Amino acid sequence: MAEPLEARNLVRFYGDERAVDGIDLQVQAGEIHAIVGLNGAGKTTLMRLLLGMVAPTSGLALIGGVDARAAGPDVWKRVGSLIETPFAYPELTVTENLEASALLHGVNNVNEEVARVIGDFGLEHWADRRARALSLGNRQRLGLAAAMLHRPSILVLDEPANALDPAGVVFIRDLMRSAVEHNAAVMVSSHHLDQLARVADRITVLHRGTTIGTLDPRGSDLEQQFFDLVYQDDRERGLA
Amino acid sequence: MKRVLTVEFVKTRRSTVVLVTTVLTVILVPLLCLGFVAVAKAGGAGAVALKAQAMVVGEGWEAYLGLLAQIVSIAMFIGPGVVAAWAFGREFSDRTFPTLFGLPVSKGSIAAAKFVVLACWGLVLTVLTLGAAVLIGLIAHVGPLAGINVAGWLWRLLVAGFLTSTISLTIGFVASVGRGYLPAFGALILLTMITQIAVLFGTGAWFPYAAPGLFALQGAEGIADVNAFQLLLVPVWTLFVSWLTVRWWNHAEVT
Repeated sequence: MAEPLEARNLVRFYGDERAVDGIDLQVQAGEIHAIVGLNGAGKTTLMRLLLGMVAPTSGLALIGGVDARAAGPDVWKRVGSLIETPFAYPELTVTENLEASALLHGVNNVNEEVARVIGDFGLEHWADRRARALSLGNRQRLGLAAAMLHRPSILVLDEPANALDPAGVVFIRDLMRSAVEHNAAVMVSSHHLDQLARVADRITVLHRGTTIGTLDPRGSDLEQQFFDLVYQDDRERGLA
Repeated sequence: MKRVLTVEFVKTRRSTVVLVTTVLTVILVPLLCLGFVAVAKAGGAGAVALKAQAMVVGEGWEAYLGLLAQIVSIAMFIGPGVVAAWAFGREFSDRTFPTLFGLPVSKGSIAAAKFVVLACWGLVLTVLTLGAAVLIGLIAHVGPLAGINVAGWLWRLLVAGFLTSTISLTIGFVASVGRGYLPAFGALILLTMITQIAVLFGTGAWFPYAAPGLFALQGAEGIADVNAFQLLLVPVWTLFVSWLTVRWWNHAEVT
């Protein structure tokens, strides 16, 4: 059976820049696969490729077993994502944004699902407020709610804890764990190793567009292990 | 498609750009006509008076509706053009375009829904503007209605206003390819200038951006006739550019 998310020898150039350079990676159902790396390591490009937001230079980006650039509505109905910017049109209220997301995701009981997700994400107080008036943290909450209101079985989240307060960070962790308990496949990127260690089943380290190793989420001193991998890779490339 | 149309309708209904454009067009177009007719009627040799006298032909309602035709053909291009620049360009300027990936609806259908919703709004805007113009004309006692084929005028103005508003939506293509408002605003200014030049050189009837305006003034002195084929080029060009835009949206990447 096809993995929910899979990169096969995936390559993407931006001009001469090798943003993603031959990555092989899978995210299985019922697991949280975390991607860590320094800025510019290729995390966001990898996620963009797997969501069909950019085409690979070579290799395959598969979602639900289908080429991400050719996947149809049946695949995308099962996908929730938050990459870079949250789904938050500034002129729409929080409720209207969620209704729009529900409609675009093919949700049938729009009103009920929107009411549920407003409660689940603690957005009641801001429900009638326009998105342009929200704080960064609440915009992020809105974006996460919009990405998850259709109960996706494949979840791709790029730095989901951005701008969230500590309670929000705990909330995101619980959300991801809850999704995995329902057999979802979750791919998440973050700079914060300690956050990932508490929630991830697997951690893959990206550096200069390639996978350079994995970390055991239950291991100790992940930060030291991470930098050891990065420096070792730089040494092998003759850059350190 | 119904779901995508609903979303685009809500975004349009909530837009300040759309609201301001609607209010300004509906109020300013009739008032400008009234003002120009009054200035022309008052005579004088000032720059504004001379310009008004050149634009206003005839007396009373004939003068008022003739001027309305000229102003509507410009207003229905600029107003809906600005709205089209916003509707398509905002997805890039506001960085909402990446959120339209990973959905069970195609990005092309979202672009198509924008065209449909804005075309409907263009029709409503034309009807409201013409309605307001007639009402203001009646209140201001522009002149006697006897002998004036008001229905004929209004029909031509409705067709011209609607066709102009729809062809202005082609600006959405520039906003998409240029990924923002600014290239689209530049294209809007450029197209307005080219349209004026095409009319000056007598080739306006064959230029889809000028043909509706000339059709609105059909029969007036010094105005080239626009035949059905030339008028048909307007929706054909609009549909072609809309198709190009939809196609571009379907294949576009995040940058």
